[in-house]
Amino acid sequence: MRKTFHGRVILPGDVEGEALVTHTGFNTLASFYGSIRTEAQTATCSDHTNQELFGKNLTDKILCLPKTTGSTSAGAALEKVAQMGIAPKAMLFSESIDSLAAAGVILAELWVGKRICTVDRLGREFLEYVKDGQRIEVRDDGTIIVCEAKAGQP
Amino acid sequence: MLDGKQGSTLQKVMRTLVLYGRALGAERFVDIEGDGHFSVPYAFPGVGLRPEMLDELTHAGLKTKHPFTLDPRAPLDFENLGITREQEQAFEHMLRNQARYDEQMLQLGLKDAEAYTCTPYLDEVGNIPRRGTRLAWSESSCVVFANSVLAARTNRNAAVMDILCNIAGKTPLIGFLTDEGRRANWWVEVKTRSLPNPQLLGAAIGMKVMEDVPYIVGLDLLLGSGLNERTLDYLKEMGAACAAIGAVGLYHVENITPEAVDLRTDLLSKEHKTYIIDDRELQNLMASYPVMWANRGAKPQKCLVGCPHLSLRELHGWTRRIHDALERMGRDRVAVQTILFASPQVLRRFAAERYSFEELKNAGVRLSSTCAELYMNNPLCAREAVITNSNKLRTFTPARMLLDEDLVEVLVSGDLKG
Repeated sequence: MRKTFHGRVILPGDVEGEALVTHTGFNTLASFYGSIRTEAQTATCSDHTNQELFGKNLTDKILCLPKTTGSTSAGAALEKVAQMGIAPKAMLFSESIDSLAAAGVILAELWVGKRICTVDRLGREFLEYVKDGQRIEVRDDGTIIVCEAKAGQP
Repeated sequence: MLDGKQGSTLQKVMRTLVLYGRALGAERFVDIEGDGHFSVPYAFPGVGLRPEMLDELTHAGLKTKHPFTLDPRAPLDFENLGITREQEQAFEHMLRNQARYDEQMLQLGLKDAEAYTCTPYLDEVGNIPRRGTRLAWSESSCVVFANSVLAARTNRNAAVMDILCNIAGKTPLIGFLTDEGRRANWWVEVKTRSLPNPQLLGAAIGMKVMEDVPYIVGLDLLLGSGLNERTLDYLKEMGAACAAIGAVGLYHVENITPEAVDLRTDLLSKEHKTYIIDDRELQNLMASYPVMWANRGAKPQKCLVGCPHLSLRELHGWTRRIHDALERMGRDRVAVQTILFASPQVLRRFAAERYSFEELKNAGVRLSSTCAELYMNNPLCAREAVITNSNKLRTFTPARMLLDEDLVEVLVSGDLKG
């Protein structure tokens, strides 16, 4: 069982990975702060106000979110985790991308040379459908395929 | 700039801005008209500019079109922080590149060597944009203050992107820079019996409206109308919380903020949503905050007040509160090591008013112009049982938030129940 969604491409790419979903705004700085501060090998979500993500590993995940929130340090934080090699593989926004997230992924792209595939405007239905652990295929035209199966399963 | 004729680094700056503007749906750029304020004061990864990028910008001889102020200075004023040698060493290691970073910021256009605070808009500091001025600021609490209270026009620019916009002297024409983007899409009604704690109210609004624009009614009945020292301080605190905990970049308060005073409910879009805040809503929110200390039952070790930086009036307010609590409890000095944070300019003025300054010092209270959040960035400091009145600090660190009236009792007595 697969369901397909289409969004607007911010940074294109063909990647696959495991979905990690937050239905509330993703506070970028609060989420990555702990991992940056401790120079961690993986990005464990340190935002204790996000009950869906707190304590989960964000590295190489396909992060599905409505938008990002919080401090304007978000851009530098996202750029830094990209440089550290512990960023999510892709960020899929149900709404239009916000300025902080846009800055982060673009800085990572142009100043660090690390791409975080980014698609926005996927719609509310996308975020209602996708669940943690599902396998997601991101196509460079902004097509998102959500597989019923968990990542790593056929 | 984009064709590379002015150098490859400026070309990369402009390419970054073009991608950024396109992502945000902007059709064109406009010139930046006023001084900047940015949230990148630290040579600390994830918060400031990476050294490689800073080198590239300064080696290319680039500079912002207008001078700028920065968020609070790095926590290297150890004598004001009351920390252990191990904590000092951790800061020295974390901020080992700070001196060079500060120098490079001056090269890029930092106003002067003291232009470090998260309250640049206070009179003592003087980075006060005029109404309608187009800017590209960052630091969420400054953006929301500039937009809402000063009626200047800036988007919530991310750290680093702020400085790139100001080097190019251009910002995408989108969002809060447009009349349409400044319309409110939430009617927020404050129905509490008394004036709510500003950082709790701000958090409630931020969590509900996220990046939308609230039109707040009922607050003027509790706070008073118009802009004056009292309302400015309150809005500074409220805005910091709704910006950091939600993503609010602009709010209007009926009968208080300039655009709400002039345009009233014409600012409201027709299809706005409604949110009513009462005492129960705020009590539930406060009760929902978890204690993030490693040892929940620990005795408070440190109290940090001034995130965002305190105004002169607030410094006097805390002096009075602490003095009254000491008298009431029959004590001479605070039981919990307490640091009040304010800009260098405000602290200088406060120190000149010797009576309050000496009174605080004699009570064992410390004053610093660094940043409470950055203090907690030191893993050895983050392990301390820190109490604060800042909801912003609570959000980003393990600090425990108490309301002002509870906080002063605890910092004087040293006892925290529950």
